[in-house]
Amino acid sequence: MGMFKYFSRKRHRDRAILREKIRRRLREKYSNFLELLSSNVELADIISDISETLRSQKLFGMSYVRSRATLAMSHAFRMIRALNEMSDNRYIELYDVFETIKNAIEKVITLRPFSLPETLVFPLSHVDLTMDDWVGGKSAHLGEIASRLKLPIPDGFAVSIRAFHIFFEKNDLKAEISRLKQLTNFNDLSALQSLSEQIQALIMRSAVPDEVANALLAAFDEMARAKKVQSFTVAVRSSAIGEDSEVSFAGQYVSLLNIPREKIVDAYKIVVASLYTPRALAYRFYKGIPDEDVAMGVLCLEMIDSVASGVLYTQDPTNPASDRIIISAVWGLGPYAVEGRIQPDRYIVTRTAPLTIAKTLVSEKPVQLVRNPAGGLAELPVCAEKIKASCLNPDQIITLAEYGLHLESHFGCPQDVEWALGPDGRLLILQSRPLQSLNIDRDDVIETPELQGLEPVALGGETACPGTGAGRAFIIESEDDLGKFPEGSVLIARHSSPQFAVLMNKASAIVCEYGSVTGHMASIAREFGIPTILGVPGITEKLENGMEVTVDATKKKIFPGIVKEILQKKKRPIITTSESPVYNVLSRVSKFILPLNLINPRDASFSTENCRTIHDIMRFVHEKSYEEMFTLGDTLSKEVRFALHVRAPLPIDLYIIDLGGGLTKEDLFLERDFVEIDEIVNPPLRAILAGMTDERVRQTEPRPVDFRGFLSVMTEQMLSPPKLGAERFGDRSYAMISDKYLNFSSRVGYHYSLLDAYCGRTVHKNYVTFSFMGGAADDVRRHRRARCIGIILKELGFLVNIKGDQVVGRIVKYEASYLLECLRQIGLMLEYTRQMDMLMSTDKSAEFFARRFLKQDYRLDDIS
Amino acid sequence: MDKIECRVLVIDDEQDFVETLVRRLERRGFKAYGALRGREGLDLLERHEIDVVVLDIRMPEMDGLEVLETIKRRWPFVEVILLTGHGSLESSLKGLELGAYDYMLKPADLADLIRKIKEAHERKLLRREQG
Repeated sequence: MGMFKYFSRKRHRDRAILREKIRRRLREKYSNFLELLSSNVELADIISDISETLRSQKLFGMSYVRSRATLAMSHAFRMIRALNEMSDNRYIELYDVFETIKNAIEKVITLRPFSLPETLVFPLSHVDLTMDDWVGGKSAHLGEIASRLKLPIPDGFAVSIRAFHIFFEKNDLKAEISRLKQLTNFNDLSALQSLSEQIQALIMRSAVPDEVANALLAAFDEMARAKKVQSFTVAVRSSAIGEDSEVSFAGQYVSLLNIPREKIVDAYKIVVASLYTPRALAYRFYKGIPDEDVAMGVLCLEMIDSVASGVLYTQDPTNPASDRIIISAVWGLGPYAVEGRIQPDRYIVTRTAPLTIAKTLVSEKPVQLVRNPAGGLAELPVCAEKIKASCLNPDQIITLAEYGLHLESHFGCPQDVEWALGPDGRLLILQSRPLQSLNIDRDDVIETPELQGLEPVALGGETACPGTGAGRAFIIESEDDLGKFPEGSVLIARHSSPQFAVLMNKASAIVCEYGSVTGHMASIAREFGIPTILGVPGITEKLENGMEVTVDATKKKIFPGIVKEILQKKKRPIITTSESPVYNVLSRVSKFILPLNLINPRDASFSTENCRTIHDIMRFVHEKSYEEMFTLGDTLSKEVRFALHVRAPLPIDLYIIDLGGGLTKEDLFLERDFVEIDEIVNPPLRAILAGMTDERVRQTEPRPVDFRGFLSVMTEQMLSPPKLGAERFGDRSYAMISDKYLNFSSRVGYHYSLLDAYCGRTVHKNYVTFSFMGGAADDVRRHRRARCIGIILKELGFLVNIKGDQVVGRIVKYEASYLLECLRQIGLMLEYTRQMDMLMSTDKSAEFFARRFLKQDYRLDDIS
Repeated sequence: MDKIECRVLVIDDEQDFVETLVRRLERRGFKAYGALRGREGLDLLERHEIDVVVLDIRMPEMDGLEVLETIKRRWPFVEVILLTGHGSLESSLKGLELGAYDYMLKPADLADLIRKIKEAHERKLLRREQG
């Protein structure tokens, strides 16, 4: 008797200990499982976000790529970590798979390290084009012109990229700048402005390290000694990496003229800081040039008191076939030739030998820019007899044209050249870079139809970029107006200005009274493909703010109202980032993130070694986590399973884990491996099952020709024992429940849905989150199904977010009774939409079926 | 589980950020502490029961990963959420390897951060309960 009691007590105690051990293990697993699920949701979101970004071609910068990739990697890692913790490291090899993918991604998003020579300053006579990575594009080109081409340039020296890196590293500027940038919304002009101010102030506050400052001064002194002149000053110009290559950085950066020795270090900082002017920031952002790739070399050139200066194009950028060289010229220093301050003289030279001047357009040039002996520059009136006189004589024009062709043949493409005429009568080349050719398909520049009886408001000027555009006129009078510019308006201004670069993604056309087609803004407009006319007299007076106008830049006419007949249907060639460096980076990175190779969990190929992307890892880990949580026995006691199979005629094969209070009987799993539907007390799950088993949706299947016959087969399959159902639908569904909490995951074929709900007495704690993913393939019909589900959820009061084939809905802080009704509807909807893909034949189907569902009309025949 | 107070420690060298976050967390019923340096944060952990630490990776003197390592060694059940404006793959993965619960990029959405703090807290409770 005593013996029996002892054994009975012992057995009882052993059982209690075992139970406690298992419970603890379950809790542990569950905590890892939750962590895994939370990363799964976020990763799914990141994946949709990246594919959406690539698809929609919305604007983004390098920091977007970096942050998305970092987050995707972190969440994948977190999922792997959690799965291994759940499974006693059964999936340890996933870490290696991860490492391989990570290395592949890092090859794309970290900069290849390349070595720079230690030299801080190079005399221009020692510089050539091979050194552009060391000194920046402008210095390298000018050095090449002098050292290889032997064309005349001013004396000067190049401050290297190395000096820039020393400056930035010593002051730890990179990290601080990238931090500031992450806080900024680039579509907000005032935020961009303030970002620019902060960064530039930061750079100006930072000390130029002695080694750099001393090298600058020594080079200056060396030049002065060789020149043997008293008041010697230099022009300090930007020479950024990439500045003079494919992408035109026209006028993005600062050039400072007339800088004396004592100001050269500050000037250096100012030029470096101009990497971060609002327009440079915006320009890089819209063109997708990663900031990390940007570095500033600086070019110091002897200051020339030029009599005249200007720009030469070896080709007409608006009409490359026309075989013309275009030269523009102003009196004094060069900035006025490109800034749009005055209308320069224009000379057209025919390219075919012998070079002949085809046209001379001398304009009125009342003012000029000159060197101020006291420092800086000054605007002086041009003496009366020169105002209407030509800046260049025919010999000079031909000489310049010859230089231009020389440059073109050396560099192998049409050139955009800055030149100056020295006081000694010598023509000097100040800069030469590839001419920004038109980024417009020839087909795009179709002739606009001639309109009868429609009077233009204004006509004339010169085409800086052909094409047509319309919108409300917005007249820019001061810098303050830039921030107010409404999307899609037509930019009207007196003078063209490179500052307008910040509006290039907003303006539908540009018209200015003054400005040169060889100016900075014109080349930016061409790059962005914005129809632009320059030199239209009095346009700011003729138009009023808000007035609708249509600009035909090809024909140089501006019409009142929106003239649909002449608006070209094609979109502007560049409004997207699709060919930009950063787009390419994202698209390359995405190849290691987005594709899904693992699709069928029952397939032999569903294994770690076949995980080739982050998406694969996510899919694999997620699938295995359910296995770990539900179907495999616990390591403590092999025969015990937490998961109970639901014995009921359900359309899904459902397993349940009770975290406490979800079933009528505690610890049922210690006794058997199934549960009857009546033993479930968890209200959210009961609500879903009620919806799912509602006769009205169970009866509705797509109607085949032999409706009755097919339906009966289907019904039978659906009502057949779950084992058969599992084979038919291929997947198990899982529910984790407590008294008020439900986590429910179901997978049917490619579709996968996840539901998380809490329905208790405290209203503010209640919520339902439902997400539905249609699978990886880019199938329009899946997107439609997602839309249909989105519409239904929205109608139920959910906050809905649809991205591609993924729908996420969330509803919070409602009475439990209402949320339970929502859950019942979701159950209905899951059943109703199950067969829907094949019916989503048109864009209207989504709306149509959603409305039907909401009217409790659960028929699933097609619209037609 | 519902009524248990969640005690949060925010360690970040940006004073404005710490003050704002602490204030907002308190308003939402958390018990929140703030520290501007790693050392100061560890002192607070010494003196108070903390459930979740929100930790900036990049800080002067003692960097976030170092702080994380110390926390995980001395208080293994405290959950740590890394937060940083200098998102880099290497530091985020290093942080997760060292046992951080999760990682967020600054500027973090407050609602997201609070959700994460709650998740981390729940995890701590699940692992701690009779553990």
